[in-house]
Amino acid sequence: MKTKLKFLIKQSLKKKIKTKWFKVANILILILLIGVVNIDRVISFFGGDFENSTKIYVVDEANAYTLFEKNFKTLAQSLEDLGNYELENTTKSIDELKEEIKEKDSVILNISLSNEEYIKANVISFDPLGTITEQLLQTSLNGIKSAYVLQNSGISENEIAALTSNVSISKEVTNPELEENAEGHNIVSSGLIIVLIVPFFLLITMLTQMIGAEINDEKSTRSMEIIISNVSPKIHFASKIISSTLFVVLQALILIGYALIALLIRKLLTSSFVGTVPEEVSGYVSDTLNMVKNTGVLDLLLKGAPFILLLFIFSFLAYAIVAGVLASMTTNIEDYQQLQTPLMIILLVGYYIAIMASAFEGALFVKIVAYIPMLSFLIAPVIYLLGQISLLELVISTIICGGVTYLLFYFGLRIYKVGILNYSSQDLWKKIFKSVKEK
Amino acid sequence: MLKVENVTKYYGNFLAVDHLTFEVKDGEIFGLLGVNGAGKTTTFRMINGLLDKTEGSITLDGLPIDYSVTDKIGFLTEERSLLTKLTVKEQAIYYGILKGMEEKKILEKLEYWLDRFHITDYKDRKIKELSKGNQQKVQFITAIINEPKLLILDEPFSGLDPINVQQFMDVIRELKNKGTSIIFSSHRMEHVEMFCEKLVVLVHGKSVLAGELKQIKKEYRKKNIHIEANHIDVEALKKVEGVLEVLVNETEMVVKIKSDENVKNVFEFIKKCQDVTKFVVEDATLNEIFLEKVGVNYEN
Repeated sequence: MKTKLKFLIKQSLKKKIKTKWFKVANILILILLIGVVNIDRVISFFGGDFENSTKIYVVDEANAYTLFEKNFKTLAQSLEDLGNYELENTTKSIDELKEEIKEKDSVILNISLSNEEYIKANVISFDPLGTITEQLLQTSLNGIKSAYVLQNSGISENEIAALTSNVSISKEVTNPELEENAEGHNIVSSGLIIVLIVPFFLLITMLTQMIGAEINDEKSTRSMEIIISNVSPKIHFASKIISSTLFVVLQALILIGYALIALLIRKLLTSSFVGTVPEEVSGYVSDTLNMVKNTGVLDLLLKGAPFILLLFIFSFLAYAIVAGVLASMTTNIEDYQQLQTPLMIILLVGYYIAIMASAFEGALFVKIVAYIPMLSFLIAPVIYLLGQISLLELVISTIICGGVTYLLFYFGLRIYKVGILNYSSQDLWKKIFKSVKEK
Repeated sequence: MLKVENVTKYYGNFLAVDHLTFEVKDGEIFGLLGVNGAGKTTTFRMINGLLDKTEGSITLDGLPIDYSVTDKIGFLTEERSLLTKLTVKEQAIYYGILKGMEEKKILEKLEYWLDRFHITDYKDRKIKELSKGNQQKVQFITAIINEPKLLILDEPFSGLDPINVQQFMDVIRELKNKGTSIIFSSHRMEHVEMFCEKLVVLVHGKSVLAGELKQIKKEYRKKNIHIEANHIDVEALKKVEGVLEVLVNETEMVVKIKSDENVKNVFEFIKKCQDVTKFVVEDATLNEIFLEKVGVNYEN
């Protein structure tokens, strides 16, 4: 029987990998990942202005350039990822400048004095202004106006500087349980949520679809009768669960591989374009890794990794078991699609709770859900990394999930045995409940 | 030898098979007949170990049916039980391995049978690309690839043209001669008559007719007389003692009589007619026997 089990697993796995959609989907995912990781290069390649700076010609008729420059640079620096700006105080006429900015990403800013409004400005650009550029100009000019008014009111320079500077806020957190870097920790953990949850959400969806399609294929062609007359339903069921789980694990590893390839390509592109890639972009990965390390999330991840991994595997198995049982109860893929809807809803609920977990920090509801199998794999790792539950609680969640997965297999097999040879929907649920009671 | 002894199967309160007993010796072809819902599929499933029986016992060569025994059973289902996305070769390997065979042996056997059925070119073709007849051939090959001790054939000739039916028949007879026990089920009574030495007829899971075909026919006293002659007074013939029914076809007349004792009366009537070229007395057909025992026409 072991040989037959191995054979069935191998066959099932081979069948999935040999499909055209698997090959096509993986090629597309690889291209997509490489594209996303190297998006700036892609934009540049197609003539995008991802790295081009916006030049602002300032025609200063109010003698306010120095203050404008100071205000603008301070603001732009805080938003450095959103664009680069170059300022030039010019004496050229507006008409001359209009010629220069044709088809260029440049702006003319004419600042002049006004009797009613103290200061007014005229902005000329070839294309409509971007929202960020407009906000930067607006805020910088507002600053000049305030300073101008204050200057004319007889207040000293030091007093003006003190008045216009930001209020300094020093932060102090008294919760002894929180780490030194709690804020950064939250940012990093929230980022990891997306990285952890989205692929596993997709993989589980893939898993349930595949197992349903395969069992229905065997049932609808009546091959099931031949198969089950030669291998026990237990072996058959186990082969479906193991092969589907192995497949998604394989797919997950392939995704990691693709991510590494994408990063490698980025590195190669960066080294061959030294000088053209902004420093902040080329150092993005190492900065992120450093941030993960410094906030302590990496330590948490390393400590919890074996249990998180186990939790994922138990959950894959649990979903595969439920999907297999549901598929055994149906005779065609359309019926299966309907029957598996509640399973997908459970998955979606887990997904949304996990996404919102950082917003509902410490909520009891979220903590309780982290112990519920089939939801826990999405929530427990996330709130563990957010520091909302301890390692022990993660371990307990994993143990509960493992136990329930075993029970699902134990009772699910009873339904499966009856379901796979049942071709009638008459009294289906009656048959199912009866089969659960029978050994 | 397959022994089915006093087997009963209940689905909840529904009695699907009621104390069924029969045996199929080595090298014997056995007919299992019954209209839809009679309990044939349930019986096949129990023999294959797919269903547990409520009562009774089923043994193959003295061993109760389990997964070590089912490897020796070949099963050709009524529906096409093939994974249509696989190629012929992949399908043969799939079922062969599940029957405990080694891949090398499967491929050897596959080559032989593909050649025998003249479909060698289809070895690497997907099953869904084959015609119904060729799919049936592949299904038959996968059922016999393990040289089964017991072969269950449920509607084996479906989708086949007369030439291929003959080809299948030759192979089935060959397997019988090699000692394979064969259970045969078909909606075509002429196939059952042609093949089966013994049979059982199920009605609502219960055996209503069982035994050797020759004996059943012998015991069934009604006969059919096939006559070819000119100017027969059909109405007068119908009044002859023992005549049940007179059917007039294009070429001949079939006179159904109560028993062989009435042959003489019909013969006396016919010899007075002109140009009598045929007078043949035959046993009643299996379908007629079935109709009388079950109350419905089997082939409908």
